[in-house]
Amino acid sequence: MRVEGSEDVCEAAPLSQQEEWRDVTPIPQDDGKHPICPIAYTDDYREMMDYLRAVMAKEEISERALELTGRVIQANPGHYTVWVYRKRLVEELNADIAGELNWVSSISAMYPKNYQLWHHREALIVRLLDPKQATEGQSETELLRHPVIRRELQFLDNAINEDSKNFHAWSYRQWLVSTYNIWEQELIFVNTMINEDVRNNSAWNQRYFVILQGRNPAQVELDSELVSGEIVYTVENIKFAPNNESPWSYIIGLLLRHAPGKLYTDLLPKIQTLANNKDYSLAMTTTQFYWSALVDIYEQQARELPEQGKALLEKAQSICHNLAIEHDPMHGKYWEFRSTSLSV
Amino acid sequence: MATAELAVDAHVRYFRHCLNMLPAETVSLDATRMTIAQLSLVGLAALGRLEESIPAKQREDMIEWIYAQQIPSGRAEYRGFRGGSLFGPHERCNYPAANCGNVAATYSALCALLLLGDDLARVDRAATIAGIGRLQQESGTFAPHPGTTERDPRFIYCACAVSAILDDWSGVDIDAATKYILSCCCYDGGISQIPFQESHGGLLYCCVASLALMGRLDSLPDRHRTLQWALFRQCGGYQGRINKTADVCYSFWVGASVELLGGRDLVDVSALVSFIQSCETDIGGLSKWPGYRPDPLHSALGIVGFSLCRPDALPRMSPELLLPKTVVERLLRLGFRRSHKLCADA
Repeated sequence: MRVEGSEDVCEAAPLSQQEEWRDVTPIPQDDGKHPICPIAYTDDYREMMDYLRAVMAKEEISERALELTGRVIQANPGHYTVWVYRKRLVEELNADIAGELNWVSSISAMYPKNYQLWHHREALIVRLLDPKQATEGQSETELLRHPVIRRELQFLDNAINEDSKNFHAWSYRQWLVSTYNIWEQELIFVNTMINEDVRNNSAWNQRYFVILQGRNPAQVELDSELVSGEIVYTVENIKFAPNNESPWSYIIGLLLRHAPGKLYTDLLPKIQTLANNKDYSLAMTTTQFYWSALVDIYEQQARELPEQGKALLEKAQSICHNLAIEHDPMHGKYWEFRSTSLSV
Repeated sequence: MATAELAVDAHVRYFRHCLNMLPAETVSLDATRMTIAQLSLVGLAALGRLEESIPAKQREDMIEWIYAQQIPSGRAEYRGFRGGSLFGPHERCNYPAANCGNVAATYSALCALLLLGDDLARVDRAATIAGIGRLQQESGTFAPHPGTTERDPRFIYCACAVSAILDDWSGVDIDAATKYILSCCCYDGGISQIPFQESHGGLLYCCVASLALMGRLDSLPDRHRTLQWALFRQCGGYQGRINKTADVCYSFWVGASVELLGGRDLVDVSALVSFIQSCETDIGGLSKWPGYRPDPLHSALGIVGFSLCRPDALPRMSPELLLPKTVVERLLRLGFRRSHKLCADA
């Protein structure tokens, strides 16, 4: 019997009444005389745990132990040593990995924010599809058609549809993409996610990951045309909704790291044009992100063009002052501080 | 005092309830009861009501329970404290992976013991520190316990806090841990869980506080931008990520980071206080968002966050260790030397 859904758990007979468990003497919890933060356990949970302690204490490797870990994890996915035990059971019993994946998927639906289950999933995928062999033997396009990869991408689509900012799902997606070196689909995916919700910062963050292809930022030199393309793309999205921190922090961050000169040669004229266009000017000039970007841009320009440094910093200071009193009073004290700390 | 600004009595009752009995639906906390205990105690301490809320006898019982979670023997990497008594019992369990310590539980246990006035004399220091050393990975990050692929700055922080409290850094390769943290710095000035992940207020705290404890805050590539990222999370309360809703736990995670980065005077205190107050619940305790049910984590972190921004109203809290400054001062008298910043503050 494999427990697949929570309804099975409720219907299962107590272990003490099951023939299969007759030979096991349950070990009760030793919580001392005066426990801290005791939990009012249900009878079902208490019994499962008593039997689990018994099989774990003697390191039993059996199908029934595997089933029991499934029931316990379903009730309490934060039980960290049970995951370690289950991983060992799956390996030593040579359990069906596809079945295990189905099980972990059902748990994911119940606990999308549990750390351990994502790590468990990762370990299963590595066993199903060895990354080294997979990436050496097949092209990216072939790998994308591989049933394991297709299934994982589908699973992730569902998880991200369910919660488009699920930190674990995005993290797992980065792991999958970089481990199997499958980058072809990723920018399309990111574009789709940004189109669906231009304020989804997880999607903007994934864009940076894709543009760098997961390489160490300190050692990457980005192609100038690629960077210019990113400026055009980002400004188009800013135009759509100027009061949105995500694209602003993406483009300023990308340029500060990889092409600081383009902050004032390329980005600055584009956003100024937008701010001077009567269709966009109100939305642009009333958002703090536009003004905040100008401060960063002028500061960088002052660094690179020392002969204009003083005038540029004065411009930046006056913007800080306006941010403090008009556009962003919640961070007013910060803007006053920023104004005094502007430097070349 | 804060009685006018926070429903102190109701929160004291709430934390006392948590220490005495948690409802069945909190069973997913079973492996982290040590942390729930730490949070309930620090919540009481931040309200200035710890001593009077817990009679001496109960304090001794609690100390006994915590020490009962210390793994008494076995290889170093399985030692330290476990998260609760659902494992074991020690004498009947020969499978080390089934009954093992966890660096997060060890951190919580040490903080809880200090809050209860214990002098840590019964902590097996050598095993704990050696265990931490075995959990550090080649990349510099830490696993929480053996047998898992989970590893990230949450556990770097726990390892640093334990090393600081026990005043023994021989289990941490500080250069490697620092290097790993810096590899998690994002393009936007924030810090994430693994390289290329999205910036996150909770991970920001783990990384900034670890650097502070290691005396390495100056190694941040652009501290100013990191401070800006943290301050920009304020939208009334603090949000944990860009374009997310404010959540009361970030009053601590982001609030303490701001303080460690030198930006305490730059916060909009009245907006933050109003948000924290809006998360207070009628039955005591705080919920993550206004109008939800309270839980120990959001209750404690909301109140500690309140104390950080209103040190005039509540006992002063240390931003590095989630402990009252008075406890850190006692720790200093116990011989805690390494963290220069703490020494200077106390």
